[in-house]
Amino acid sequence: MFINRNIDGGTYDAIVIGSGISGGWAAMELCKKGLKTLLLERGRDVKHIVDYPTATLNPWDFKFGMNNTIADNKSDPVQSGAYNPGSKHFYIRDADQPYIQDKPFNWFRGNQVGGRSLTWGRQCYRLSDLDFEANIKESVAVDWPVRYKDLAPWYSYVESHIGVSGQRENLKHLPDGEFLSPMELNCIEKHLAQSIKKNDQNRLLTIARVANLTRGWDSRGPCQNRNLCERGCPFGGYFSSNSSTIPAAMATGNLTLRPHSIVTEVLYDEQKKKAKGVRIIDALTNEVLEFNSKIVFINASTIATASILLNSTSNRFPNGLGNDSEQVGHNLMDHHSSAGASGAHDGYSDLYYKGRRPCGFLIPRFRNLSDSESHAFKRGYNIQGHGEREEWGDKSGHLTGIGKDFKDKLTTPGSWTVWMAGWGECLPYYENMVSLDNSTKDKWGQPLIKINFSFKNNESDMMNDIKETSVQMLEQAGFRNVIGFNYNKPGGATVHEMGTARMGRDAKTSVLNAYNQMHNVSNVFISDGSFMTSSACQNPSLTYMAFTARACAYAVNELKKGKI
Amino acid sequence: MNRRSYLKSLAFIGIVASSISGYKWYKLNKSINLQSLKEKEMLIAEIAELIIPQTETPGAKSAGVHKYIIDVITNCTTKNVQNHFVDGLNDFEQFSTSNYGKPFLELTAKEKGSIVQHFSDNANYRYPILNKINNKFFGESFFSKFRNLTIEGYCGSRLGATEGLAYDYIPGTFKACISIQANQKSWATK
Repeated sequence: MFINRNIDGGTYDAIVIGSGISGGWAAMELCKKGLKTLLLERGRDVKHIVDYPTATLNPWDFKFGMNNTIADNKSDPVQSGAYNPGSKHFYIRDADQPYIQDKPFNWFRGNQVGGRSLTWGRQCYRLSDLDFEANIKESVAVDWPVRYKDLAPWYSYVESHIGVSGQRENLKHLPDGEFLSPMELNCIEKHLAQSIKKNDQNRLLTIARVANLTRGWDSRGPCQNRNLCERGCPFGGYFSSNSSTIPAAMATGNLTLRPHSIVTEVLYDEQKKKAKGVRIIDALTNEVLEFNSKIVFINASTIATASILLNSTSNRFPNGLGNDSEQVGHNLMDHHSSAGASGAHDGYSDLYYKGRRPCGFLIPRFRNLSDSESHAFKRGYNIQGHGEREEWGDKSGHLTGIGKDFKDKLTTPGSWTVWMAGWGECLPYYENMVSLDNSTKDKWGQPLIKINFSFKNNESDMMNDIKETSVQMLEQAGFRNVIGFNYNKPGGATVHEMGTARMGRDAKTSVLNAYNQMHNVSNVFISDGSFMTSSACQNPSLTYMAFTARACAYAVNELKKGKI
Repeated sequence: MNRRSYLKSLAFIGIVASSISGYKWYKLNKSINLQSLKEKEMLIAEIAELIIPQTETPGAKSAGVHKYIIDVITNCTTKNVQNHFVDGLNDFEQFSTSNYGKPFLELTAKEKGSIVQHFSDNANYRYPILNKINNKFFGESFFSKFRNLTIEGYCGSRLGATEGLAYDYIPGTFKACISIQANQKSWATK
């Protein structure tokens, strides 16, 4: 292809690569601290509300219901597994951006302004020292260079900004946060909660902690209980970069947002021993441009971030920027969420609910909380699920018959049911990795990304326990037709990829220090999921945001002190 | 039987078996004339209406379910499923002519009803596990597919969602536990 070269794109104080949940935070924090910031986004612009074309549509506005077309499934074999006609526009076209799967791996991508913050699950859980100390205690990978006390104020800072609804439970291993009033459990969920509490004093069931607003917050919301979050919310009922951090960054006057900017590499200045900026391809004009800055934040999401680093070679870093440790691209993790159980309950037939609560319940981790427990696996899982009465979509497939009687059964509330599954920790394995295949190029002339990932024995042993334990909890609570399952979903299916540029105490064995700063290149920071030294089992976005805010404060201070 | 003729007979069985499955493969993967589906619109509408009839609330026909079924079969299913579906409709008509001597659409309401009832009675095994196995190896039965599309089309339609079911466009609040009302319809969306 012909590529225009128009080298000087301009100079900024800071460049942020990626506008998703962590990039949006980096842009906002840096702008608020007075840095002229360039926010680069690979995909198109998505403006809050005006670019949510399906947000207010009714079911009958979709010609094929929620079915994807055969053409969708063919052209987007990966993304079509995650999208439906209401959310397709927030996912990439697979054919445009192929990647190589050494083993099946779902890489769901939302390349647009706001990234996957538009479609995220909104679950917000803090990590604790049970998580931060796990690696060192078990001699797994390397020690986290931080502890909970370092992060606690930043969790509070982020929660206070984004608005998280939740119930305080006073658990040491799942610390409470700054919560708006919680959403409410329905009657079958309360029933299950009581049964769990009665049967095991170490377990509890609580309402999910979610970035859905139970009251107006920061000129957004409240949540209208439509449960259509994945289409973008016209009420701003949940947190996204588009509804919150990017407008806040824009309001400072310090932000330049540049969509359609494919970052191909971070440029290294061999004399100054620092990054000098980035090189991009403009996806619309095919121009190659370079932008310069004092600091660079990489928030492209862990797989893309690793690929940018590996593609950024120089005399100093022939194996990729800041990669003296040879850890870049390795230790890829994703949570598993395949195993669980479901069942039906005959009680409470005179009760129902109104409104579509955009979250379910959480059973916080209860395995391996102390060293004295012994299980076939290390670490643990939390269980997420929801209770509801069977409606037409649940009855379709097993309701038989025809005519008036059939119609009556179809259109009235059925039994209460609960579905729940374990979100489990995945250990960091060096061999689970992202690399570049220089023999094949994409349409921008860039090497294809290759992903080699599999869950191993620790994860499958944990899944067995999840299935068994979930079945037991439902049976103890008097459910019938209890069925344990393991969907055996491939890596990536939980959309919590992380770990490809881990932080650690030693530059020889890790890529970043405790402040998300590259050990080898002092003005490059990485605060998307790449930095995660272990995965814990909590949904990770809140942690990315907290680390990002902390890293920005550190970076600006260091910059002011003339240290970077 | 000596070893040689034993092997020969095995090979013969193999060839027969593979040609049967080969034929089945051809039958299910041949290109389908989608126009023929359009021509069966009235038939589809009649069957759907017998599955979800007009009662005090609208039925499948006035909800436009037949159009939905044709759209989804045409755009959202594989050739395999499309062929299965068209074959199923043909079986339906054949059953009608051989048992009543008339095309389905010319039958009385009662006759139509008993044919749809017949297909419904034979659509599923009694045990869910057998259905699961059957669906895995032979695909969902025609009638079961038809009924599921009728459910989807009806419950997602304007009339089905707002009159057949309870549609709450913007709930505003969430009420976690409320008493069920007389003639409570279930919610149209989750």
